[in-house]
Amino acid sequence: MCFLCLLFLFVATAQGQKSNVVQIFEQVATLIRDNRLAEAEKELTAVLRVEPDLPVALNFLGTVRAKQNRLVEAESLFVRAARNDKSFTGPRMNLAYLYLLKRAPDKAITQLQEVLALEPENAEALVMLGDIYLEKNDLQKAEENYLPALGGRLDNAGALFGLAQISRMKGEMREAMIYLNRVATLSTDSKSPEFLYKFGLEAMRLNLFDEAKSALGRAVELKPKDPSYLLGLGIAVLRKGDLFEAEKLFRRLLAMQPNNPQAQLHLGYVLLNQKKYAEARLWLEKSARPGVAIPEVFYYLGLIAQEQNDDARAIVLFEKAVQKLPDYAHARIALGSSYMRLKNYPRARQELETAVKLDPEEPSAHYNLALLYARIKEPERAQQEMQIIEKLKAKGAGSGNGVVVLPPKPNP
Amino acid sequence: MLIRVLIYLLPLALLFNTRPPVTFEEVPAATSKITWVHDNAHSPDRQLPETVGAGCAFLDYDNDGWMDIYLVNSGPSDFFTPPKPLKNALYHNNHDGTFTDVTDKAGVAGGKFGMGVSAADYDGDGNIDLYVTNYGSNILYRNNGDGTFTDVTDKAGVSAPGWSTCATWFDYDNDAKLDLFVSSFVFYDKSQNPLCTDPTLQRRYYCVPRLFKPQPSRLFHNNGDGTFQDVSRESGIAGSPGKSFGAVATDVNNDGLMDLFVANDTMPNFLFLNKGSGKFEEIGLSAGVAYGEAGRPRSGMGVDAADYDGDGWQDLFVANIDQEFFSLYHNEKELIFTDQPGEIAPSTQLLSGWGLKFFDYDNDGDPDLFLVNGHPDDMIESRVPRVRHKEPLLMFENTGRAFKDVSARSGAVFSKMFSGRGMALGDFDNDGDDDVLTSNNGEPPLLLRNQGGNRNNWIGLQLIATKSNPAAVGAVITWQAGTLKRTRLKTSGGSYLSSHDPREILGVGSATKIDSIEIRWPSGKVDKLTNPPLNKYVKVVEGSGIK
Repeated sequence: MCFLCLLFLFVATAQGQKSNVVQIFEQVATLIRDNRLAEAEKELTAVLRVEPDLPVALNFLGTVRAKQNRLVEAESLFVRAARNDKSFTGPRMNLAYLYLLKRAPDKAITQLQEVLALEPENAEALVMLGDIYLEKNDLQKAEENYLPALGGRLDNAGALFGLAQISRMKGEMREAMIYLNRVATLSTDSKSPEFLYKFGLEAMRLNLFDEAKSALGRAVELKPKDPSYLLGLGIAVLRKGDLFEAEKLFRRLLAMQPNNPQAQLHLGYVLLNQKKYAEARLWLEKSARPGVAIPEVFYYLGLIAQEQNDDARAIVLFEKAVQKLPDYAHARIALGSSYMRLKNYPRARQELETAVKLDPEEPSAHYNLALLYARIKEPERAQQEMQIIEKLKAKGAGSGNGVVVLPPKPNP
Repeated sequence: MLIRVLIYLLPLALLFNTRPPVTFEEVPAATSKITWVHDNAHSPDRQLPETVGAGCAFLDYDNDGWMDIYLVNSGPSDFFTPPKPLKNALYHNNHDGTFTDVTDKAGVAGGKFGMGVSAADYDGDGNIDLYVTNYGSNILYRNNGDGTFTDVTDKAGVSAPGWSTCATWFDYDNDAKLDLFVSSFVFYDKSQNPLCTDPTLQRRYYCVPRLFKPQPSRLFHNNGDGTFQDVSRESGIAGSPGKSFGAVATDVNNDGLMDLFVANDTMPNFLFLNKGSGKFEEIGLSAGVAYGEAGRPRSGMGVDAADYDGDGWQDLFVANIDQEFFSLYHNEKELIFTDQPGEIAPSTQLLSGWGLKFFDYDNDGDPDLFLVNGHPDDMIESRVPRVRHKEPLLMFENTGRAFKDVSARSGAVFSKMFSGRGMALGDFDNDGDDDVLTSNNGEPPLLLRNQGGNRNNWIGLQLIATKSNPAAVGAVITWQAGTLKRTRLKTSGGSYLSSHDPREILGVGSATKIDSIEIRWPSGKVDKLTNPPLNKYVKVVEGSGIK
């Protein structure tokens, strides 16, 4: 895919070649773009028979090989092309992509730095380099590359996307949202499902669920059979609070991949929120592979047991969740609630007070504690807890939009 | 040969043993002659009272043994001048499935911006009186016993200015007189209508009640001389200002004192525990019936109470707005409830519930549940996906410990959509099963005939108190037929803005004999009925038994 992007570069760089060769290369570029690789190879072989070291031809042939997944040969051809014309940046860009494919980011960096030595304002190289440093968690170097890629204009979606991620990682959410919103404007017509997917995930991380839903929706339209995209879209829709649409998406995904544990987990979660407990339990239990069940699964299954009036079972499940994640405030709230229903008030108090310490901004912790205090005849403390809830509500804390249970972490 | 005969006969036997389901059949206006239509005063200003009314009642105002119908309408107010006169309607039951409008003759047209109605014999003269709640001030119509009524509001002292919604007659102090609880909604007048708009629609929509100030509800003590004393403050009721809609008088702790469960919109619900000596304590929080999950108040509208699982304790039900789920609060005793809606929850997730009532629609002895729904915001469909302005009715059958949604098999009317609000229960055709009347916002009412409920056996009791309050509210009826043994508390109120047939139909399933009926009256007297008749209504006089 990325090799194709570079073909345009080659044509531009080949302006100094003979005009008939230029025509041939234009035709080759078209053939490669149309995936007619055998025909492209035939043309290139003919050229290389006459001029075996012609850099542009070598670079094109490398592209063909890369598309054929013959990466070792592709690398060799790109290296030859670069060696034969030290000012030709095309093969170096291709090498950078190739090394990234081979998960050799340091080698990619070397190539990109050479490109930038020749073309300091090459925006694509700058963004690629920024992406690599971002991947390596070197935020400063990433930023140092993204900013010049913008060249003073806010029209490079890749650079802006990188800067959005950097801002989010630094905790500068407002800036992150500004960058990402700009990316959304620039990429309204994007036809790259990969980019839309990445964008959607990032938007979700920034709680920009409308943007995430839109981008992921377009990614799914472009690539309807990609399970990751469907899962991502399902989660974005879920985060928007549309349980019914999310249910449809997770069911669609499960029709494609019946054993997808993330889809099972999320469908179970959606059904739990719709209070369709029997089916929710089925999917959640399916999602819990032996030894790898995440704490949320035990928590959700505990909630179902609680709703079905089986607090003894609920406690066992909540305890499992808490064992796996001792700071799991919601599981402790539920545990406290179940102990309260069984009238074990000391244990209920212990769990609920712990939960409030773990997550003082969570209204349900305070509510259950208020309920407990009211039942053990401590009305003033109960009222204090209710007042805290009022303050939290004023601050907009707590889950909303119809989703009553904290969803699984968005990690498609 | 015998085996072959049995094989052939078996499917036939199964066929004959499978009874058709009980259904509700719409009685069209052309048949019933009920031509009255509710006018909701709908305006571009979206004044909040427009969208919450109105109620309806089954009552026998002329003591002929047949349920008549009362319907409440909007009317003049500070924000609404009707282009043509509007009135409430009293329809006389002609005993043949038709009704005659007798409003003007009876003198019960209302003439205010009506909300609800509660019918009861407050003065114990044997005639059912009417209390009509309004946005503005309320009206008490005393039944003169000759087909006419007199407005005695001022003399009685029960006008309760402001915005009243539901009213409930019950005897909170067991002095054998019916007292009156009146729910108050928010503080509101024309100038209090904030601008609630959606920039995409560029039109107003009805503001959520969260924006308005709560008001205390009222409790009136019946002095027994045609007057009432406002005891809201000293009883503790006024100490809990709310945004109250539905109210039901019931006894949640079996102490013989009637408590009150009151639904609030965007505020915690109230459970007023009757402590005796005229005092109530609000225990909604500790009882677990005040809030939804995470301590979030919901938009409570309709309520009711019944012992749905036969454990001897009154359970509670509240209908909320869409996405909030309706609550079925199971009584865990010790004044603690747990919300166990079961199958009701997914069925109602997108609905907003108002009128509702527990009743035994198939006469098998246990209370089933009927729900009337409709979203208050007429523009909701342009703002929230999948939520409709007009919504379907729902019927849930009691399966012992839970409820099953049987709407799909309960008649064609369940596939229609309504702006449902009030719902009254009553056997208008006296065939031994409860029929339903719903009142719809800005639409004609809906009269539904129960078809097949009386395939099971039953007895109908009209309780005539001599020592207890005239409505026998608080009476406990226990009946046994073979292995079937049931108990029912005579509650008061319930549903939304509406009032019900005071008679009690006791279902006994397929039993062909009722072994015993015991009535424990609020006065403490106990009447035991032996060999009561099947499939007919009887009058039971306190202290004397069947008359």
